[in-house]
Amino acid sequence: MTERTEALLVVLSAVIAAAGTAVVTATTRGTVTFDALAAFAVHLAAFGGLLVAFRRWAPAASRLLLPLVSLITAVGSIEVFRIDHDLGRLQRWWLLLAGAIGIATMRLLRRRGLEILRRYRYLFLVAATALLTMPLLPTSLPLGGATINGSRLWVRLSLGERSLSFQPGEAAKVLIVVFLASYLADRRRVLAEMPRSLGPLRLPEPRQLLPVLLAFAVASLVLAYQRDLGASLLLFVVFVVLLYVATERATYLVAGGVLAVGGALTAATTFSHVAVRVDAWLHPFENFAGGGYQVAQGIFALAEAGLVGTGLGNGSPWLIPAASTDYVFIAIVEETGLAGGLAVLAAYALLVTIGFGIALRAADVFRSLLAAGLTIVLAVQTLLIVGGVLRMLPLTGITLPFASYGGSSLLANVVIVVLLARVSHEERT
Amino acid sequence: MKRSLHRVALTLAGLLALSGVWLTWLATDAGTRYHDDPRNTRSQQASFLPGAGRILTADGVVVATDGAGGGRTYPQGVLYAHLVGYAASSERRGIEESRYAALRVRDDGSITDWLLGLGGDGGRESHDVVLTVIDPMQQAARRAMEATTGAVVVIDVTTGAVLAYVSSPSYDPNRVVAGTLDPGDVADAVLDRAADRVLPPGSTFKVIVAAAALEAGASPLTRFADAEEYGAPGSGSPIANAGGGFCGDGDSLTLTEALVVSCNAVFARMAVDLGGAAVSAAARRAGFNTAIPWETGAAISSITAAAALEADAGALAQTGIGERDLRVTPLLMAMIAAAVGNDGVAMRPYVVDAIVTSSGDAVRRTEPSPLARMFDTSVAADLRTMMEAVVASGTGTAARVDGLIVAGKTGTAEGSGGPHAWFIGVAGVDRPEIAVAVVVESGGAGGRVAAPIAAEVLRAWRDREN
Repeated sequence: MTERTEALLVVLSAVIAAAGTAVVTATTRGTVTFDALAAFAVHLAAFGGLLVAFRRWAPAASRLLLPLVSLITAVGSIEVFRIDHDLGRLQRWWLLLAGAIGIATMRLLRRRGLEILRRYRYLFLVAATALLTMPLLPTSLPLGGATINGSRLWVRLSLGERSLSFQPGEAAKVLIVVFLASYLADRRRVLAEMPRSLGPLRLPEPRQLLPVLLAFAVASLVLAYQRDLGASLLLFVVFVVLLYVATERATYLVAGGVLAVGGALTAATTFSHVAVRVDAWLHPFENFAGGGYQVAQGIFALAEAGLVGTGLGNGSPWLIPAASTDYVFIAIVEETGLAGGLAVLAAYALLVTIGFGIALRAADVFRSLLAAGLTIVLAVQTLLIVGGVLRMLPLTGITLPFASYGGSSLLANVVIVVLLARVSHEERT
Repeated sequence: MKRSLHRVALTLAGLLALSGVWLTWLATDAGTRYHDDPRNTRSQQASFLPGAGRILTADGVVVATDGAGGGRTYPQGVLYAHLVGYAASSERRGIEESRYAALRVRDDGSITDWLLGLGGDGGRESHDVVLTVIDPMQQAARRAMEATTGAVVVIDVTTGAVLAYVSSPSYDPNRVVAGTLDPGDVADAVLDRAADRVLPPGSTFKVIVAAAALEAGASPLTRFADAEEYGAPGSGSPIANAGGGFCGDGDSLTLTEALVVSCNAVFARMAVDLGGAAVSAAARRAGFNTAIPWETGAAISSITAAAALEADAGALAQTGIGERDLRVTPLLMAMIAAAVGNDGVAMRPYVVDAIVTSSGDAVRRTEPSPLARMFDTSVAADLRTMMEAVVASGTGTAARVDGLIVAGKTGTAEGSGGPHAWFIGVAGVDRPEIAVAVVVESGGAGGRVAAPIAAEVLRAWRDREN
């Protein structure tokens, strides 16, 4: 792909964001408002800015990444705006901020590149742990924890009258991948030694399994104290899969699988908030007025979809609780049909494929693991939430990368793309 | 590391592809099953093209249609009021509410509409709703309930199709649509006594207690000690038999004989001997404390928690004869009777047989499906034999119908304005085919008041079917 095509596609996605916003306002209000222009300008500013930063500081990076992410963000921003105009407008500010942070990250890495991440890995680990535990700060502090929708994964920064809430866990997931990539790059030979065997399964020295148990413990704590099923699962799955990638030992997958299944069964019987979700997943219509309401509304939304959907602005996606966050994918399907839904899934599949392509061609083991880990985060997060709203899994309440409303999530995911681009750039220099 | 990277990449991309396949299946499935679901407010709130389809009985009688002036009109007046309800501009009720979307054409501003409109044939046509109710049976039930307060539900035993559904007193939905009757002013007439009102079942509940005994190992020939009354341990006043005296010869009587004469002393004691857990389990298995899926929604029939019954023998003894805190809908009692006639399996009750085009082609048809096994097969067979004896020679003789084998059970439940008369039964020419439940509120003795009403409904069925 030429530089020209890349730029053209980014501009095209900004046009799509504007056109979609215009259609939404036209169908719901009968007029095209200023929002369409704002959507175009903001999209172009954020992704155009990133494009320029990529050209300047990572000129050899893959040209496939940015147009794709820009397109997914455009589709998501249209639907979020459609569900709730105010959230849509807020999301534009988050997009601008995410663009700025992405550019800043790119600039930070311009000289010594990703090596700098490797050097400070324990600092990142400490930072990630701190971020993960931040929501447990007392709510009374100016910078304190906050419970939203029953989950304690928010931090609220009070500035006089106003306050700003964010999810530090989103940043933590990036830092954890950075740490893991560098840790596993050094330790993978040791971890891959499997002196014992049990049937066809080869076993490491028992103490080598300690990191798996440690990750499991962290995930369990997140689940128990922050009541966040999604983040807990995401952290654990990413860790286990990355461990497998680094060591090529299926033993870790088996051990992780056993722990995950055991943990899931225990959680479903121990924690009421998990049991409610499992029940809503299996029997949404039996408890329609209670826990099953959200899942059942999601199914009603799907019943409208058909091949091309109701058309933007013609559906009723706001009837689903958390439509702009957890259920944004279903909202997109309701209004753009199977055609739109499958296109979005194809975009994610493409993004994941590009990410692993970067991992495969990376200059060294650390960079390869870094790209793989970041891609796995995006892929697993997408699968957890899409699988959740499609009733393949219990609903876990995390964001659909780039598409859901949410500032913290968008920021973190843009940084992931920047890091991926940097890995891609460094493979050739 | 290349190998593991390839594998993980393929797996994750594969799972995303699988999500796409799953999405396609789920959206298609949801589109067929949940598009017109009564709980789906999307369909209810959407805008529709003017004009709605008709509601017809199984034998083609028009129950609801569009009037000349544009509003809905109900040619049968009060006859189907509780089932079909009304679609007035201010509010909707009954099937007119639950099938509102199915009867109309969505105006979704779609290209399809526009294209069809270009053809000049007026676009898409609205569909009709065909009920399972048979008009002569509905009329017979309504006639039999004239001037009473109560309900009649008739169910096809093998399919769960509702053949008649009457609540009395009734009201004229035409007047609601015309605005000359405010439903709020006649709440008593608007109340659907078949599914929305719960009453103590009285002695009809002895069927459930007998089922619990049979499941615990008794047979119809198991003998129980006769008594004039039964006082549960630690309770106050003892429970006497209806009309006083012994039930039989004063020595002992079989389970069948106890059911035939509806012996209070024997069943009160039986409930206490079986224990609260067993009685409660048998009731819950028969649909108590469970939401019954029903077209227009149904109240939950209830029984006291097992632990509370275990702790209070007096309450358990009264529960054994269908009193105390037991509450049940006529709909559930009809389903219980139907299960007795269907080898113990209750079918999911339904009243909308099909959605059809104006030329009669089915767009969607309800498939009968089992809802729950209420009794073991052998228990159901025993109950049927015993209930046949009730009608042949016991309290239910008024429900006898020439040419039909009728099995049933009467009930007379305490009520503040006089006893509620109950009858539940199942009948057929040579095998059970339809089940009926009748309740007349404050009507008197079940055998004298409710059983004749059941007989009239059964005769209407016999004359039509055979």
